[in-house]
Amino acid sequence: MAKYSIEENGKETSRIKKFFQKDFSQALVFAVPMLFLAVFLLYPMATTLVRAFMAPAEDLAFHGFSLEGFNQFLTSNLYRKSLWNSFAVSISVTLLCLLIGVPMGYCMARVKMPGKNLMLTLGTLPIIMPSFVGAFTWVILLGKNGFVRIFLNKILSPIGIEIPSIYGMFGMILCMTLSYYPFVFQLCYGAFASANSLLEESAMLMGASKARIFRTITFPLILPSLGAAALLVFVRAIGNFGIPAIIGGDNYVLPTLIYFEVNGFWNINGACSIAVVNVGITAFVLWLQKYIVNRHQYETISATHTELKLHESAPARIIATVYVVIILVASLLPQVTIIIMSFFTKWTGLWPEGFTLSNYIRIPHYSHHELFNSFFLSLTATLLCAVLGSIIAYITERKKPKGAALLDLSVMAPFILPGTVVSIALLSAFSGNSWLRLTGTYVIIIISFMIRRTPYVYRSVAASLTQLNPSLEEASTIAGATWFYTFKKVSIPLITPAIISGSILTLTTLLQELSTTILLYSGRTRTVPIQIYAAVQDGKLGQASALSVVLLVVVFVIIYTMNRRQGKGIAAAFKMG
Amino acid sequence: MSKNVTYDHVNKIYDEKGKNPVHALKDISFTINQGELFCLLGPSGCGKTTLLRSTAGLESISSGKMYYGDVDISTIPPFKRNIGMVFQSFALYPHMTIFENVAYGLRVRKTPNDIVKKKVTEVMELVGLGEELKRNPSPTGLSGGQQQRVAIARALVYDPDVLLLDEPLANLDAKLRRYMRAEIRRIQKATNITTIFVTHDQEEAMAVGDRLAVLRKGIVEQIGTSEELYSSPRNAFVSNFIGKMNFFNSKVVSADRENIVARINTTDIDVVIPRERAHLENPAAGMDVLVGGRPEQLVVSRTKSSDSVMGKVNIIQHLGSFIRYEVEIADAISPAVFEIDMPTLQKDIHEQDIVYVNLKRGLASLFSPEGRE
Repeated sequence: MAKYSIEENGKETSRIKKFFQKDFSQALVFAVPMLFLAVFLLYPMATTLVRAFMAPAEDLAFHGFSLEGFNQFLTSNLYRKSLWNSFAVSISVTLLCLLIGVPMGYCMARVKMPGKNLMLTLGTLPIIMPSFVGAFTWVILLGKNGFVRIFLNKILSPIGIEIPSIYGMFGMILCMTLSYYPFVFQLCYGAFASANSLLEESAMLMGASKARIFRTITFPLILPSLGAAALLVFVRAIGNFGIPAIIGGDNYVLPTLIYFEVNGFWNINGACSIAVVNVGITAFVLWLQKYIVNRHQYETISATHTELKLHESAPARIIATVYVVIILVASLLPQVTIIIMSFFTKWTGLWPEGFTLSNYIRIPHYSHHELFNSFFLSLTATLLCAVLGSIIAYITERKKPKGAALLDLSVMAPFILPGTVVSIALLSAFSGNSWLRLTGTYVIIIISFMIRRTPYVYRSVAASLTQLNPSLEEASTIAGATWFYTFKKVSIPLITPAIISGSILTLTTLLQELSTTILLYSGRTRTVPIQIYAAVQDGKLGQASALSVVLLVVVFVIIYTMNRRQGKGIAAAFKMG
Repeated sequence: MSKNVTYDHVNKIYDEKGKNPVHALKDISFTINQGELFCLLGPSGCGKTTLLRSTAGLESISSGKMYYGDVDISTIPPFKRNIGMVFQSFALYPHMTIFENVAYGLRVRKTPNDIVKKKVTEVMELVGLGEELKRNPSPTGLSGGQQQRVAIARALVYDPDVLLLDEPLANLDAKLRRYMRAEIRRIQKATNITTIFVTHDQEEAMAVGDRLAVLRKGIVEQIGTSEELYSSPRNAFVSNFIGKMNFFNSKVVSADRENIVARINTTDIDVVIPRERAHLENPAAGMDVLVGGRPEQLVVSRTKSSDSVMGKVNIIQHLGSFIRYEVEIADAISPAVFEIDMPTLQKDIHEQDIVYVNLKRGLASLFSPEGRE
């Protein structure tokens, strides 16, 4: 039949034949993620931006242009103070983290110390614990009736010093610093440990003093890592919801203000304005960091590396060890406290009271629904993130279409968006009388998880693809394989390790996600972190602790298993997080 | 079945509609015979890899046609062309055993298992890896030379119409490289598959290829056997790329039917060159030309003669079967340093000595100075 039609009208059919000869599997595989990004990322971001310039309204219809939302920052005391608090908290936290993390990284990398591997692992633990869990354990330690506070006040009262209660700015800064310093510590440790010692030795041979070497050689070379770490801390601090919600008291910050506007008044448009301001600040800081770091980015010239010479003098070793141990103890106090607390009913004096196992035993009774939700939502979202992230990474790395940079930017954008902003964007697009109403469903939470965490898999896979020689795929094409066959048999198996490590990171962070779900959950879709948050608000600290311990154990086991299987440091996995 | 490959006015322009279009292949037309081992040779950026990748279909060409046999394959996607290719990096799959690596193309073609096994064993015997196949390790555990053989086996196993080799020896060390190039020629002759071999190493190309094409800036400068290219290069570039050529800046004094006489600049030395070794169009008196002599066609000595030019010895290198003298000549005659190969060490000549260079009679050739590099 084909022969017949060719004779009939050759040119026409040959064009049709050519059309069907083309390989469409590729376009099909690529279309789905693009559609997802357009509908659930770009569209919500656009509506958020539009709504930010609309007057508050109940029906969520699109009204005329108004600057009322932004005007609030000039007229309302609450808004002004929230903005100021956000600034003050994030900047102080960033500076304090640098202050603690840089010396700690240096000590670990350059001073001979006992038990280094143990310390390195302990130094990452604070990142694994959700920050809001840290916050409520600090309430147990330093709250109005916190035992550490009572204890310290008893000692210090004769000299007239009273430790302030954890509630307020002091508490927020303390909590966030102790949760986030590991980012600085880990990145600086990496930079100090991998620095080329020959550079420092050559400076020494040219007659430079130790201080001068640090100032002119060592420090400038770790500056890029420092910039990356500072940015990581700042972005997290300014987007953090859990800590200010639990111990902020009446000190609102931008994320809690968004929650306040939505939960209290269902003022989505107003919340959008706050979100835009919040993102604006983050974007500015990101730009600033890029600007500073780009001017100090160096290529490593030498190829050979020699062993670093460690400080071995006794005073150096003692000072470094004591310093590191103090920081570790302070930042790990919450973990210890929470485990003790989970076996008691209350802890308001010096000692916990009412030993019980019922916090654990009754978990199936009071939390089976939430546990199911948490695992179901996180696992589903992780699976989808893995697919979405890998395909988009494949597109940007291998196909390099026009606008690959834009695609990269839009996938990575949620990386710096606070969780509350992501949920506001989704609410602004898919609630009320929207064409697609998703409020209160599992779907909206899964989508928010995907939007927020796809960057993990994306980055991980993109990095592994740049390492992979394209000729591996070309060789398959040459051997006669179609695009899809090559993708299935060559590309996918080779990037699988990257997909797995990105997915593990995604899963562990999603299990602890609070700031996104807090605005999106309904009675049906409540997750464990939400339940912990609610239990803390109700004063059921025993229950909250037991649930947190369960979460921590699950997360720790997942990460530990991955480390054993893949032989990668926890730090390396969390670096990008 | 092995096929010949024909290029018909092939052009490749990168970024054709962009700001900086790059004309990588300019009007390439020639034919590679069936069963031939053909080398594409040229300096980096000459277009040889682009031509190879276009032949494979990994790059699309901007205009012109390419044929395997009589079939126009210009628009056929690479996976339907039935070609084999060995990459510079070998591109072996680390997640498969060597058996699965080699079997890949057969699996793609949905070949029954028993035939896959038979063919893989045959081809592995051919490339000399029969023993390795019994252990069947992952390719990451093999030495460079063995990986190279696996890559060749993988490209040959499904009897491709054409075999493409993209700088296949570049990742091997010098000794192995010399051994493997002979192996490649042996395997190619055993299978008789039309083969295109890309390299920037002229020695490798001359050793391996039945015929060579020298490319420069997207243009085919000359095609021929190693002997043809070496003994009668068509222009100054080819003469200096295939082996070394020393050039004397000269001017034509007279030209008749049989001979051309050229005088070396700033001297009164006249060189007589027969027409068949004068690669010039319309030589006329007063024209700028280059008199060329290969390193072995020059002689260096301490004694001055009427037809010698003066120079200073920079470096003396002992290269085994001959001694290479690098001699600096007056800029007006040659801005480039001369390389002169003497069969024995000249006891009276030392580095930094003033010496005199003579052209052996009747061996010089003549080129146009255009395109000299």
